[in-house]
Amino acid sequence: MQAYGHSLVFITTLIVFFFVLWLVRRRAIGERFAVLWLLISVFLLLASSLGYPYLFQIAKLVGVPYPPSALFFLAIAGLTLLIIELFAWVSKLNDRTRVLTQQLAILREQVERGQGTATEG
Amino acid sequence: MNSASETPTRQRDPRVLLIVPAYNEARSLPRLIEQIRSLHPSYEVAVINDGSSDDTAQVVGQLPVRLISLPCNLGIGGAMQTGFCVAREEGFDVAVQVDGDGQHPVEQIHLLVDGLLRSGCDIVIGSRFLTGTGFQSTISRRLGIRIFSVWLSAICHTRITDATSGFRALNRHAIELLSRNYAEDYPEVEAILVAHRAGLRIAEVPVQMSARTEGVSSIGKVRSIGYMVKVSLSLLMSLIRRPNVAS
Repeated sequence: MQAYGHSLVFITTLIVFFFVLWLVRRRAIGERFAVLWLLISVFLLLASSLGYPYLFQIAKLVGVPYPPSALFFLAIAGLTLLIIELFAWVSKLNDRTRVLTQQLAILREQVERGQGTATEG
Repeated sequence: MNSASETPTRQRDPRVLLIVPAYNEARSLPRLIEQIRSLHPSYEVAVINDGSSDDTAQVVGQLPVRLISLPCNLGIGGAMQTGFCVAREEGFDVAVQVDGDGQHPVEQIHLLVDGLLRSGCDIVIGSRFLTGTGFQSTISRRLGIRIFSVWLSAICHTRITDATSGFRALNRHAIELLSRNYAEDYPEVEAILVAHRAGLRIAEVPVQMSARTEGVSSIGKVRSIGYMVKVSLSLLMSLIRRPNVAS
């Protein structure tokens, strides 16, 4: 049972890795997020394959009795960071959209007023 | 610059922009605009149509005012900020917020403008609680307003009695600041703190408000609780937030 746990993580991460590459190829995901996801995938791939023995040591060191739990912990911590990053990005986009909306309305009024005075004059 | 033109006893009249944020206010706007036009013919009026779903745009289009139509609904904060941007870009000396629902007393706009020019303050707020006459809102709302007012008075070392009043006048410094820093929803309370942190001076003048003539308030009974929580949190956050400086 224990022997398969990390292979499952490995295979799943591999799927995620190629899925992200496929999205990049289709231009469906921005570089910013693609790089993040690829880094996370590579990290999880290493942690669940070559780094797996070390995981035991690290887990022991920090006092986690079951090593895959340490892997899950790292994965959840990474995802949390990613979500916060997304929130920051959404906030930034929201700010930009607001400024664009305001400027669009102001410019449109200026253009319409300009046209009004042009036809009157 | 040219000292000869500034020395005469009477300086040029300040350019005043009245900003009227409007969301589905087609019914109350014609009367309001007519009142403003007859009482204050020298003030420029800009109605900010905040993505209304009724015929606000068509109605205002027929009136002798400027109509700035936002392509989608940004909320009161985003709409007011649009007005501040217009005032900033076109070099207005004073900007006054006048709500489109008829709650703000049009005949008392000059109290704000005069208060602003005479006091040398950067923001003058029209307070309905200084004299205690006119529409005073419900008990629960007064309590909420009181909490924020006491809180802000303590932080700003200035007596503030009507922290949520949107009826206020801004000078150039305040326009410059708030056109770049204005909360999206329920911005009034937070704006006082933002202004204070930027070193602006704030004062109140007594006004009398009336109950809204048309439509319903944007803040219902249940949402009042949400309002208190949201404004409290944004007050705390704006204590640590760095201001957005001129770009």
